[in-house]
Formats: sequence, structure tokens, C-alpha cells
Amino acid sequence: MRTILQAENLEKVYRVGRVDVPALRGVSLDVHEGEFLAIMGPSGCGKSTMLHLLGGLLTPTSGRIVIDDEDLTAASDARRTDIRRRKIGFVFQRFNLFPTLTAEGNLRLAERIHSANGADDPERRRDVLRLLKLEDKMHHKPLELSGGEQQRVALARAVVTRPALILADEPTGNLDSENSAIVLNMFQELNYRFNQTIIMITHNPEAAAMCRRIIQMRDGRIVEPTASIQV
Amino acid sequence: MDNLITANIRQRPVCSLVSIAGVALGVALVILFTGLSRGMSNDLKRRSQNVRAEIIFAKPGSLQLMSSVTNLDTEYVKEVQQVEGVEAAVPSIRYVSQSGKGFGFEQVEGVDWEPFARMNEMRLVEGRAPQAVDEVVIDERKARDNNLAVGSVINLFGNLPYKVTGIYTPEAGPRVKMSLAAMQDALEAPGKCTWIYIKCRNENEQAQVAQRLSEKFRDFKIQFTRDVFTSVEQSIPFLGLFLKVLVGLAAVVSALVVMLAMYTTITERTREIGILKAMGASRGYIIGVIEKEAILISAIGLVVGFVVALVTGFLIHRVYGLVFEYGWAWALTAAVIGLLGGALGALYPAIRAANLDAVSALSYE
Ligand SMILES: Nc1ncnc2c1ncn2[C@@H]1O[C@H](COP(=O)(O)OP(=O)(O)O)[C@@H](O)[C@H]1O
Ligand SMILES: [Mg+2]
Repeated sequence: MRTILQAENLEKVYRVGRVDVPALRGVSLDVHEGEFLAIMGPSGCGKSTMLHLLGGLLTPTSGRIVIDDEDLTAASDARRTDIRRRKIGFVFQRFNLFPTLTAEGNLRLAERIHSANGADDPERRRDVLRLLKLEDKMHHKPLELSGGEQQRVALARAVVTRPALILADEPTGNLDSENSAIVLNMFQELNYRFNQTIIMITHNPEAAAMCRRIIQMRDGRIVEPTASIQV
Repeated sequence: MDNLITANIRQRPVCSLVSIAGVALGVALVILFTGLSRGMSNDLKRRSQNVRAEIIFAKPGSLQLMSSVTNLDTEYVKEVQQVEGVEAAVPSIRYVSQSGKGFGFEQVEGVDWEPFARMNEMRLVEGRAPQAVDEVVIDERKARDNNLAVGSVINLFGNLPYKVTGIYTPEAGPRVKMSLAAMQDALEAPGKCTWIYIKCRNENEQAQVAQRLSEKFRDFKIQFTRDVFTSVEQSIPFLGLFLKVLVGLAAVVSALVVMLAMYTTITERTREIGILKAMGASRGYIIGVIEKEAILISAIGLVVGFVVALVTGFLIHRVYGLVFEYGWAWALTAAVIGLLGGALGALYPAIRAANLDAVSALSYE
């Protein structure tokens, strides 16, 4: 199976004034195409830092990241942004939709940023909306939608541009259990139907149980390396 | 992208309106002031050019644009007429009074109609020449602008009523004219005038005539009409500079207002900029979003500014009689200032936004 993501010995040290805060202390990880991976671990163990590194929002202090055959760590700032534009879709705990735009507008914005030449992909759009059951929500603004619906719109916005990798940071952290279940179901559907590769940070054991593979982190390290669960 | 831009503008209507008003103000100021200066100076030029007398004969110190001096004896008319080459000599008093509406100046001329009209090839299109001390004639423009007709009454010298007995064309010198005697009477200056218009028998010999005059009248000031009226323009040399300063200030105002608006906008929308970055928007894209918004605001401000300028100019003209003439060059300058000011003002906030750190922008509350 093809390797979509390769992370080698990632280290990240934040500098706060004169103090060095080591957030990652050497993390290596390979992710194959079509994998649905959960990252678990206590607060402050470096999960978000890791996700931001993988998405090119941060640069590691040392180590190497290759996404879909492109070396993220060797790239310039502008190049990293470009790789992110073409290959990564982010989903956040706080949904992060544009409040002034409708669901439709949020999706179109993603499409426009993604396609430099303005070409859109109506077929993909239709498939995504059908899969996420959003067809009749497209003209609503975020504040007119429930939390679960907002997160589904955010998910649609992330996948509509066919990214190689979805990075989700506690996507159900702001949802009640009912909506969590719906949104997790959608992640699973996307993974199953579109063979979408997903890395998801979660605190929720039920959520993690849906994933084919779970990695546990402690104190900037992976402690339970690549224990594969067969579903 | 237009979506995000117009949505942002509508989201913060007060802020957008204030920025639009700021740009509009700058643009309107430029249009109004340049229109006024052009209008007034062209108007003055036209009226001066219609004066056919080649030479103006005065005492030193009386040739001022805003003068109301009567220091010349009308006795000199006879002597001037005897100089070789002089065809006609007509004494005149020019009086500058505060205009009736309290703002701006109104010039009134006391000159005997028949000789003056003959000298300058003017004619009455309606009514008759002024005879009594409370009668005046006005030009067509004045009649149209102030809604006056033969028989109307206008107030001069503060509050004295004068009856309009005729309307003349073409416009030449002050628009309101009464007889010399009436003016002398009003100013209590019998036998006096401000200057004497001199028309030469042969236009091409005006230099020789002027030469003869200055030999005969050593203590007097003999000037060519064309010089007097070009110096009218030159007598306000700061005007050009003033306009340039004004245009510069307008540009700065537009730029500052848009800069402030965009600066607060990006502070309020820090998280949205973080989201754009997470979606892979480049620095250029983010700068583009903010610049487009600023330029849209400036363009609206520009249109509003033009409308405000035209309406205000029209009202000022109606009420105070000031003349506005708008030129394409200045309209273009105002447009460039509005747009460029907005674009430049937004540049700093836009670059700041593009340089934000994505992760901290995303966690901004
Ligand atoms: N911008 C930052 N500056 C300094 N320290 C940070 C910063 N971001 C995270 N950290 C620290 O790095 C460690 C890992 O944080 P994070 O990756 O957010 O953990 P998690 O997502 O697992 O809760 C924590 O100790 C946190 O305090
Ligand atoms: Mg976290």
C-alpha cells in the first residue's frame, strides 16, 4: 500500500522567553493511503503540535516530513503553504467556519483557494454533500446550524478539494454524544467510501475504537507504537 | 472571493460607512475646491476679455482686484481724450461689496452706459439703460442665476434697494452696473472715479498711445488691460500651491481612514485569517482579499464623493452664486487619490495579516 505520510524523528521545542519547552521528543510515524488513524494521549502531550507540524502550520526543530512524495521540511514557507493547499484538509475542535458566509460560501471559498485557475468539481461537491447529508443546509450561515451540522460543513469544506490527508484535532470535542456519533460516523463513511486518509486526535475511546489504528502519546513521545487493530 | 469581501463589508456596516465617508470626504474636497478655483478664475477671465478698452488709466495704488478706491478726478477724462490716438475715455468706479448672502463678494461698477457699451460693443437685450440713482443693469448670467428680470429689485451697499432696468450682453467686468453719478452719489464721492478706460483709435498703436500718456501724466499709472487682468490671476499665486496641498491632504485622509478601518478589521478577524492560512491561502491571496475589500470601499467612497461634490457645488452656486467648473483632469486626480489612498492605506494591515502566525491566529479569541 502507498505511503501518504512519512514522519521521521520529529522534535519540536517551543521557546518561551528564555525557557525551552520541548513538546515533541522524537516522533516517527508512517501512514498509508486510506488509513484512519487516531492519536490519543493526555492534555499537553504534544498531539496538536504534531498535527500542526504534519500540516505545515509549524516547522519542526528537527526531523523530516514527507507528504505524498513532497518533502515538507525542506520546503520554503511559501512552498509549505502551497503543499498544504493541495494536499491537506484541516478540521478543528471549534469548527472554524467563516461566520459571515453560508455553508455554501464556506465550501466555495475552499474550492477557490484550492484551484488556482478557478476550476471547480461539481461532481465531487455533490458526492460530498450527499454523503454528509448537507444538501438542504447549504444556504444557512454557521450560527443558524447546530454544532453537529457546523462540524459536518467544516468536514465537507476539508474534503471537497480531494486532499491526500485530513488532519482533525478533537473534531468531537465541542459536541454532545449524539452529535459526536453522527460526525464520527461521517468520518468513517468518508474513509470507507472515498478511501480518504484521516489522522484524528481524540480523547474519546469510542471514537478511537472506530479507527483501524490508534497511537498513544505521552510527554512528546509515542508510547504504544503502531498497535494495529483489525476491524 | 467577492463573497467573503462583500460579506465582510456588510457584517460591519458602521465601520464600512465611516470608511466610505472618509474617502468620499477627501474626494469631494478635491472636486469642490478645484472646481471652484477653476470656475471663478475662468469666469473672471471671460468677463475681463470682453472689456475692449486697451488701456486703464489710474492713480498709483488704485489698481487692485478688490479695491473700492475713488481717488481720481473725472476732470482728467477731457485731458486724456486730447492725447493723440485716443478714441474714447470712460471713467468708472469699481466697488466691491459683501454679497447679499453674507459670503463671497459682489462687484458693482459705476459707469455711464452709453459710452461704455459703445466702447466695448455691448448691448441691452431687454429694458433700458439706468438713469435714476437707484437703477442698475445686469448681465444675462446674473439674471439667470439670481432669477432676476427687468423690474426686479436687488439690494446693494448693505441694504439699499436698486431697480433692474435692463439686461445686457456680453458679460464684461462686474455684472451689476449703475450710472457713474449714481455710484458717486452712493459713495459720496462727487467728481471722482477709480480709473478711466481708454480705447485707442487703432488697436495696434496702443503701445505708442500708452507712451504718450505716460509722458503727459507722469504721476499716473498707465497699464494695459491685458496685463491688469493677467495679474488678477497672478495676484493669487498661492492658489496653485493651496490646491496641491489640499489634494495631498485628501489623499492622506483617505489613506488613513481606510488604514484604520482595515487595521481594526484584521484584528477582529485574526482567527479567520488563521483559517485561510490553514486552508492553504498564500500570503498574496490574503493581501489580495484585504486589498480588494479596501478598494471596493474606496470605489464606493469615490462615487459618493463625486455625488456629494456635484450636489454641494450646485447648492453653493444656487445660494451664493459662486461658479464651479469641473475638469476631467481633476476628476481623474480625485479618483486616483481615492483609490490609491485606499489601496495604500490597506497595504500595511494586509501585509501584517499575511505575516500572522497561523497557529496563534487560529487560537485567537
Ligand atoms: N505556542 C506555544 N508556545 C509555548 N509552548 C507551547 C505552545 N504550544 C504548545 N506548547 C506546549 O507544548 C506542549 C504540547 O502542547 P500541545 O501540542 O498543544 O498538546 P496537546 O494538544 O496534546 O494538548 C504543552 O506543554 C504546551 O504547553
Ligand atoms: Mg491539543
